[in-house]
Amino acid sequence: MNDATGRRPRGGIADDGDEFHFCSTCAFSAACLESGYDKTHLRDLHVLVEHIGPFREGEHIFREGDPFTAIAAVRSGTVKTYVTDNEGREHVQGFFLPGEVIGLNAISQARYPSNAVAMDSVVLCRFSFPNIAALATRMPGLQQQLFKLLSQDIGKAALLSGNFSADERMAAFLITLSRRYAARGFSANRFLLTMTRTDIANYLRLAPETISRVFRRFQDEGMIQVERREIEITDRKHLETLAENVLRTA
Amino acid sequence: MNQELACDGNLLLRYDRPGPRYTSYPAAPNFGPHFNEAMLREYIRRSNEEPIPRPLSLYLHIPYCMSPCFYCGCNRIITRDRSQGSRYVERLIREIGLAGPLFDPDRDVMQIHFGGGTPNFLRGSDLAAVIESLQRHFYFSKAVDRDFSIELDPRHVSRDDVALYAELGFNRVSLGVQDFDPKVQQAVNRIQSVEETLDVIDTCRRHRFRSINVDLIYGLPHQSVEGFTTTLDTVIERRPDRLAIYGYAHMPQLFKAQRRIDAAHLPNAEQRIALLSTAIEKLTEAGYIYIGMDHFALPEDDLAHAYANGTLQRNFMGYTTHGDCDLLGLGVSAISHIGDSFSQNARDLTTWEIALDQGRLPVWRGRHLDQDDQVRGDVIQQIMCRRSIDIASIERRHDIDFDRYFADALARLQPLVEDGLVLLERMRVSVSSRGRLLLRIIAMCFDRYSNGPSIDATAHYSKAL
Repeated sequence: MNDATGRRPRGGIADDGDEFHFCSTCAFSAACLESGYDKTHLRDLHVLVEHIGPFREGEHIFREGDPFTAIAAVRSGTVKTYVTDNEGREHVQGFFLPGEVIGLNAISQARYPSNAVAMDSVVLCRFSFPNIAALATRMPGLQQQLFKLLSQDIGKAALLSGNFSADERMAAFLITLSRRYAARGFSANRFLLTMTRTDIANYLRLAPETISRVFRRFQDEGMIQVERREIEITDRKHLETLAENVLRTA
Repeated sequence: MNQELACDGNLLLRYDRPGPRYTSYPAAPNFGPHFNEAMLREYIRRSNEEPIPRPLSLYLHIPYCMSPCFYCGCNRIITRDRSQGSRYVERLIREIGLAGPLFDPDRDVMQIHFGGGTPNFLRGSDLAAVIESLQRHFYFSKAVDRDFSIELDPRHVSRDDVALYAELGFNRVSLGVQDFDPKVQQAVNRIQSVEETLDVIDTCRRHRFRSINVDLIYGLPHQSVEGFTTTLDTVIERRPDRLAIYGYAHMPQLFKAQRRIDAAHLPNAEQRIALLSTAIEKLTEAGYIYIGMDHFALPEDDLAHAYANGTLQRNFMGYTTHGDCDLLGLGVSAISHIGDSFSQNARDLTTWEIALDQGRLPVWRGRHLDQDDQVRGDVIQQIMCRRSIDIASIERRHDIDFDRYFADALARLQPLVEDGLVLLERMRVSVSSRGRLLLRIIAMCFDRYSNGPSIDATAHYSKAL
């Protein structure tokens, strides 16, 4: 529905930027503005900033082994990255929300080491990597931001490597999602879970039924409210405590 | 006669207009032909992928009847040949085998309902085969409040049949009675004695069915307040847990069977209101709670509890305590409600059979529920089930500004407010006691597909009373 009928936009979709403004979720705007550049300057510097998509649900953005040319910030939607093992089993590596950057793990290898697929309707902001790297040498803020993104990407992998209970892993997953949404200006306590329970289960190395059992238990204990795909965190303190051990390791 | 109803008679008549019964929103005539099997499969897949997938409710349609009741508007086939039922069950089992594996195994079946037609048209062995197949392809909940129910025509139920239903796991029955008045029974071609009916009720009680429902109909040919009062007294004496008092809708242009009813013998609008108010008065006196639309329940019944604590829902089976389930309809013409979709199986037997013989799910039509459908569906549910709209909950759940979003609907509601049917309060729209018999007329104000209660919807819908 459009605005004329009184609907407010739902969480999870980025405000669009224009010629003179960054998208509200832009992964780089803060760094660029800090260094005294705005989007018009970036254009002058011939940096390729290109909005691509929408990709439909299930459509691949890049595949494992494709030559690496660009990183991309998610403008709207959710992207899943995964690899497939020799037995053809899929292993989910991560979920990328609006404002987050995909392709960073390809930087060292010149090829994308995983597949990236749209989980819903996805629009991306594509940056030519050679160009943004060159720009970073002249913009200390941008360089810092790139390093920060790279280290976060590594941190994400550590999130699930420890030997934690299903409850702890789920709590950490929800708290991490909540923080990531909040960091981009979305509600921290009420968000849509855009990924399927199969993917969450795969990511957390749990059975799908376990995912639902834990969700139901969290709901019964008053930590969250689940209404279809919408999650509301109702007892954040309790959930954070449960997530503590995992998040400390990460 | 009920005082309040008596003085409101004229008002009720003024609003006695056709409208959907809102067992779904949008109502079934708004389903479209572009909906196909692949889409149903996709909606089922998505429903498995929710953080907490919903439990399941299964509806199985048995279209056969031994003889035609002339008032009936259902999709049914008249025959005395029970082997037709056996052939039908073969295909039904095929459909169960196709649909069952599409649902993840941790989705318990909380509700099963056999409707018709006449489910007890089936031979006991055929019914048992259907249940066995359901058990093989689905996972039945073991919760005490699971509802496994079957509609019965008491004219064709033996004590052994009831014992079998109990043994198969049914814990609720719904009995068709309509009216015991012999003149009415003659006119509608349904001769059913008090004795055989009460014997079925008593037998169900002995087998400890959780809940017994009795259906009555007002507005039938030759019906009188005296005769209906006797029927009500007879039924109430057995204290069924639930009672439905349906209004007969004479729509011979839509339902061929009804052409055998002479419109000259039908009670007029005033008489209909007198019949209805007699029923309401008697049931209220006997301690029944008015649930909504045509339904009443004893205060200790699950339905009355759900009404009291605000968890009551409405679906294709009427009012239910299990509206939080995904609903899968099996059998000819059956309707499903999976995630944000409605879909309906082929309505004619041959098309349904061919699809199954080719290994396809027999989807005929359906629709995706967009956000607007969901908002309005939610509002209409609240009207039908709670007789009030909690504006804050709607705004929060759907991210809308209620007054802005529903400016048109509220304008359409204005005459009903002026007539005292609806009260507008801060953050709440509530139905007054005068308005409670006009729930669907009130709900129509929020229906995008109707232009409010003034439109002539005669082509599809029965009148409100």
